[in-house]
Amino acid sequence: MSNTKLRFGAILLILSLVLVACGGSTEETVEEPATEEAPEETLAAPATTSPPPEKLLIWAEEKVAVALEPLLGAYESAAGVDVEVVIYEFGAIKDDLSTAGPAGEGPDLFIGPHDMVGEVVTNGLVSPIDLGSIQSDIFDVGISAFSVGGEVYGFPYATEAIAMFYNSDLVDGVPSTWEEVKAACDAAGTELCVAAPGGGGGGDAYHNIPFVQSDGGYIFKFDGGFDPSDVGLDNASALASAEFLDSLVKNGTVASTDYGGSMSAFQEEKSLFWMTGPWARNDAAAVNYGVGLIPTFDGNAATPFVGVRGMFISAFSENKVLAQSFILDFFSTVDVQAAMYAEDPRLPATKSLFAIVENEDPIAAQFAASASNGIPMPNIPEMGSVWGPVGDALLIIRDQNYGTNEDTGVTVDSASDAMKLAAQQVRDAIAGG
Amino acid sequence: MKTSTILKYILLGIFNALMFYVVPLAITYESWFLLLIIGIITFLINITYITNRLKPLKWITPGFIFLISFVLFPAGYNFYVSFTNWQTGHILTKTQVIERLEDLTYSTDEQKGVEFDLYVMQDSNLDYFFLADFDQDNLLFGKAVTSDQFEDIEYATHEPSFKDSNNNITIPESLYLLSGKEQIANSSTLQDLSILIDKNTRIKLYNISVFGASSGRIFSSQQKYTYDQDSEILYDNRKNVACTLGDRGNFVCGGELVDPGWRINVGTENYHRIINDDRFRGPLSTVTEWTFQFAFLSVVLAFIVGLLLATTLNNEKVRFQKIYRSIYIIPYAIPAFISILVFRGLLNPDFGLVNDWLDPFYQLFNIEPIRWFRTEGSSKAAVLLVNTWLGFPYMFLIVTGALQSIPNELIEASKVDGATPRQSFFKITFPLLLVSISPLLIGAFAYNFNNFTLIFLLTGGGPPIVGADVSVGYTDILISFTYNLAVSGGRGVQFGLAAAVTTIIFFLVLIISAISFRYSKRLERVYGNI
Repeated sequence: MSNTKLRFGAILLILSLVLVACGGSTEETVEEPATEEAPEETLAAPATTSPPPEKLLIWAEEKVAVALEPLLGAYESAAGVDVEVVIYEFGAIKDDLSTAGPAGEGPDLFIGPHDMVGEVVTNGLVSPIDLGSIQSDIFDVGISAFSVGGEVYGFPYATEAIAMFYNSDLVDGVPSTWEEVKAACDAAGTELCVAAPGGGGGGDAYHNIPFVQSDGGYIFKFDGGFDPSDVGLDNASALASAEFLDSLVKNGTVASTDYGGSMSAFQEEKSLFWMTGPWARNDAAAVNYGVGLIPTFDGNAATPFVGVRGMFISAFSENKVLAQSFILDFFSTVDVQAAMYAEDPRLPATKSLFAIVENEDPIAAQFAASASNGIPMPNIPEMGSVWGPVGDALLIIRDQNYGTNEDTGVTVDSASDAMKLAAQQVRDAIAGG
Repeated sequence: MKTSTILKYILLGIFNALMFYVVPLAITYESWFLLLIIGIITFLINITYITNRLKPLKWITPGFIFLISFVLFPAGYNFYVSFTNWQTGHILTKTQVIERLEDLTYSTDEQKGVEFDLYVMQDSNLDYFFLADFDQDNLLFGKAVTSDQFEDIEYATHEPSFKDSNNNITIPESLYLLSGKEQIANSSTLQDLSILIDKNTRIKLYNISVFGASSGRIFSSQQKYTYDQDSEILYDNRKNVACTLGDRGNFVCGGELVDPGWRINVGTENYHRIINDDRFRGPLSTVTEWTFQFAFLSVVLAFIVGLLLATTLNNEKVRFQKIYRSIYIIPYAIPAFISILVFRGLLNPDFGLVNDWLDPFYQLFNIEPIRWFRTEGSSKAAVLLVNTWLGFPYMFLIVTGALQSIPNELIEASKVDGATPRQSFFKITFPLLLVSISPLLIGAFAYNFNNFTLIFLLTGGGPPIVGADVSVGYTDILISFTYNLAVSGGRGVQFGLAAAVTTIIFFLVLIISAISFRYSKRLERVYGNI
């Protein structure tokens, strides 16, 4: 039958195409020795023996990429390196890294928040970096934020911490005590006083944490590193702080708002103060604003969480010396840091940049002052079991949602009860793995 | 031979060529599973299209392959993960972990923080030499080698001749001094080289500067860990202890677990935890109950609204039908997450428009304003309200479509027989609708069963169930509860556990769907032959 012949011909055709495909790959293998021939000719100048330029792949968020873009050219030509910056959403880097890194597809360098340090170190995804002489230029909070077990795992380039915005049309500044804050609000006659995220149904441990740890309370004891076995959410000081927050809510000083609510309250001049971080400056600009420190707790400066952003070296980088050199020789220089600040004005992590910013931007200096009172967010993986329970407990206080729960039979009648419950949940979660 | 046949064979040839192209790649990466899949797919495609005997399969095979790659494979992989301890600290394979550990160097405390200029040179044999410039009396020069050659070379020596009277580095003519740029061009070689100062100390290139002098660091000449393949023992050279294999996919050094660990098979442990651990079991029943309520009510409410609108607009007396229909599809056209966030703002109890609008009623009847998102009832109501808003256009669309396929003669005939409009709707239109729509209702149920976006964005699961053993809220459904457990567990992310819960959810949905389909089949049998 002609049909069989036809089919036979077709199979031949297919096989020949397969051979073409295979042929393609053999050509590539032939090419390789050709490149190795080059060195023999250039013995006189030995250093030029490796023609393909080294490559560095960086994962960074858009603003960092945009800031680096105009400066990279100079480094690339001076160093003969091909630097490719892949734009990533800031929060997505960690997840993709944990799959791409082990598969050999990951970057040499990437940026990320310091609170993931513990997790990526535990997972074996990052390499330590010895910052050497540039370490003295970095604020201590940055170094401790990136330290795990005595090694530093990143170069901190920006910090952030919350402080207090005030409506400068209605008040001159942020008073230093909560009583004076209340008095200022009464005088101004605004509907709400301090709009702080973390209430209004939206649990937010991060914004609420000064109400916990400013006066002796703590999440994990810090002693060279955070100790997950020592939870201080229900020590006497933490309970007293929680009761104090309760009184602030009851007398109307701290309003029950979530993030969006606190923002619109401040923008619509319904609140005199807004407790949040430097990222909100554009939003706050709807009114004339100033920034001051969060009022003190029993004479102690408010202790916000400090978030630090840094650049890491991937453990799967094929060229770590080059990656280190990129950070030490280029990325950490004040020119690059200043360019990044110009693109995205986060608080400087280096003293040299802070010296510049301090004069130019008094608002940033206020946030930096608030950060200098703070502690870095715990960078251990156990922190994952903290946000939920602590956010929930503080939400109960902020929203005054006390009472007996019908389903669980548990009664939370006071701020202290809420904190004790949170502490127990955190301990159980850590013990339960 | 027809053109289509030629085209077929060319396309098949290209396909096969691509598939064969992947083979060497898969072998290089030792990805045997991929190889197997490629083999099966290539085989299936070829026998389907070359032989005539399997011609009926030619429409099904591509679909079947997509089913395997995008449905069965992920589901199967998820099933596999649920039997592992894949979690923070255990995301690599054992080989990768050993590679990582053997890659680590260390410095003793007195070696730490010492930083000095390092010069890289090369002789005519292309061997590299380092010159470490500590100070005037320590100008150490030696041949730079990889660690497996340490035994063959001599220790670096102090070479004062490399500096002239002005303290500038001078290089003998037999050597070539590499610039920063040249060091970088060779950095992948240079990073593995070091000079030895003594038995325990070596110097490595650390920072290649193109703007100033490169610098070096002092390390111990041993790696931090060495692994012995045969005895499966890892030696911690810094603490000088032998580490054994732990039973959780870790090395154990002197009682301490070494991070990172690797993934191991833990059998049904994850399932045991879900069943036996009080922290999970307690909230699980509350959450499961609400998940069913939520999914069921979401479908029913959206269906009722959609049905009402569709039957109303289906009436020929309604003018501007098309305009109305377009308007009612708008909620469907807006991305759900935007609508959800907008609703979150609208419902805000303090500033939200909803409470502003309701304010006259609150005052008229003298009731407390609803504290949206802060009480169990209001949160659940809000979730259902928003989900109805998001869901009704879909129901509206499919009901409109189904209504138009119901022959008008049936309704007219019933009218002739004296049925009231209500009777003809409930006895004829509605049952016929259900026949064609019930599979879609089941689909909507399964979708809402796992409607993570809505819960996560609207309430975040809140308000919290006070006193529960874990952080869980009243509006948490199974999938958001799983997410909380997996992401905010005791120590980082727990993929294995999350995979176990999703496997359970998968079977739940499977069973519900199977039962519902059987029920809808019965409907078909009753009404299908009208």
